[in-house]
Amino acid sequence: MIDQETIGLLLKGVNNVTWQSLFMIGVSFVLMYLAIVKDYEPLLLLPIAAGCMLANLPLSPMIAEDGMLTVLYNMGITNEMFPLLIFVGIGALTDFGPLLENPRLVLLGAAGQFGIFLTLIFALLLGFTPPEAASIGIIGAIDGPTSIYVSGILAPHLLGPITVAAYSYMSLVPIILPPVVKLLTTKKERMIRMPYSSRKISRRTRILFPIVVTVLVGTLVPFATPLIGMLMLGNLMKESGAVERLTKASAAEIANTVTLFLGLAIGSTMVGKEFLKPDTLFILILGLAAFAVDGAAGVLFAKLLNWISGGKVNPIIGAAGISAFPMAARVVQRIAQEDDFENFLLMHAMGANAAGQVASVVAGGVLLALMGAGG
Amino acid sequence: MENLAWGFQMTVLGMGLVFALLGLLWALLTVVLILDKEPKAPVSEQETHAEAERIAAVADDAVGAQVPEPATVNGMQADLVAAILIATMKHKLTLRRQAAPIMRTYWPGSQLFASRWVAAGRTRQNYTWQPRGK
Repeated sequence: MIDQETIGLLLKGVNNVTWQSLFMIGVSFVLMYLAIVKDYEPLLLLPIAAGCMLANLPLSPMIAEDGMLTVLYNMGITNEMFPLLIFVGIGALTDFGPLLENPRLVLLGAAGQFGIFLTLIFALLLGFTPPEAASIGIIGAIDGPTSIYVSGILAPHLLGPITVAAYSYMSLVPIILPPVVKLLTTKKERMIRMPYSSRKISRRTRILFPIVVTVLVGTLVPFATPLIGMLMLGNLMKESGAVERLTKASAAEIANTVTLFLGLAIGSTMVGKEFLKPDTLFILILGLAAFAVDGAAGVLFAKLLNWISGGKVNPIIGAAGISAFPMAARVVQRIAQEDDFENFLLMHAMGANAAGQVASVVAGGVLLALMGAGG
Repeated sequence: MENLAWGFQMTVLGMGLVFALLGLLWALLTVVLILDKEPKAPVSEQETHAEAERIAAVADDAVGAQVPEPATVNGMQADLVAAILIATMKHKLTLRRQAAPIMRTYWPGSQLFASRWVAAGRTRQNYTWQPRGK
């Protein structure tokens, strides 16, 4: 006969089901739906959803002391290795040519970081502590690895919701940006055509760019060295053409493997008891605000440049001064063509977008420096 | 309130530093480009647009750059399929219009006379292969 103790052991899983874990499993289904059906950032959202589901199953051994998800978290999130490895891949896939053709666009990238700091103030108003507020603000960098890197140092307990917000909203850039741009610009402004004067960028300049940026940013903001160093390493490998195998591996195999590990590890932090708090909801709302403020600040700054240049800058390219490369540039091009089908702004927008990529890393480093953390 | 003052201080300092750093980067890049002495040449907007599309296509593979896929029909983009469909229909209409004077005596829909095609069909319907009287 089976005794009471055996029955208890057999039903241990069922007895340990909580409403929080059931809710979080439901959240993981929503994330899976977004990744599989809606195609929103599937590379990251699907592993996050899987990690979330596995971590919330009753008595999940995967988040026990030596569980696989715990090992992955300790292996690459605690020491910030995963986001940095992803940065090598991003660098290997990014062409900074559009920025080099028109270096003044780098200022649009700076303006596009305003959302970080305004969101930080909003978070403080909602009662978050300064390190938590800074971590929430970094969602405004619109750069997944930077968000993970900075929040992993400043507020690791908020890593789950911050990462989910950063990556989910990143795929919503085509929905978030257009209303902001249209609200802040007139049709006449959106129809401004910007001339191209193609400057041929030599291989020498392309190779010098990552080196100059790394030395400059690394010297002035040492806290940004890991981020900018890895991003520029990937770019240097690409532009030098000397290590094609490493470039391809960084952009494909390494990035894919790390993305899987990163997603699972992030998902494992979304355990019901810690995740289901009003703070999570606030973070999601603040993240959305950060994205909108970034776009708005970029457009307003571009309007200023337009005024200074005597009407030669289309203000909507300011909205591309964020890190979502090249999605933001494509969105800007689409908005421009809605009013004037023959208005080609893509290259200018790509320049601003590449600047946003560099600026978000710089802003992340500046934030860490001001908080006196990292390094 | 103290936190809020700290927040404003962070905003001013942070944005100031970001602008200062990137301004410095702008200056450095300008110097590098001047020293590089590569010539500038006017290019058409279409050429530049195509080049930008090529750069964007490469970066699309990066994690975090995935754009929701547009609707497809048998692996082709839905708007492309729609464009091909409209072009085919238009082409068919044009061909029909061009062929009308040769193929028909009267425009389709005319009640006056049957077209050659209809007349031939009726003749074929009236013809029987059965020998008469059997």
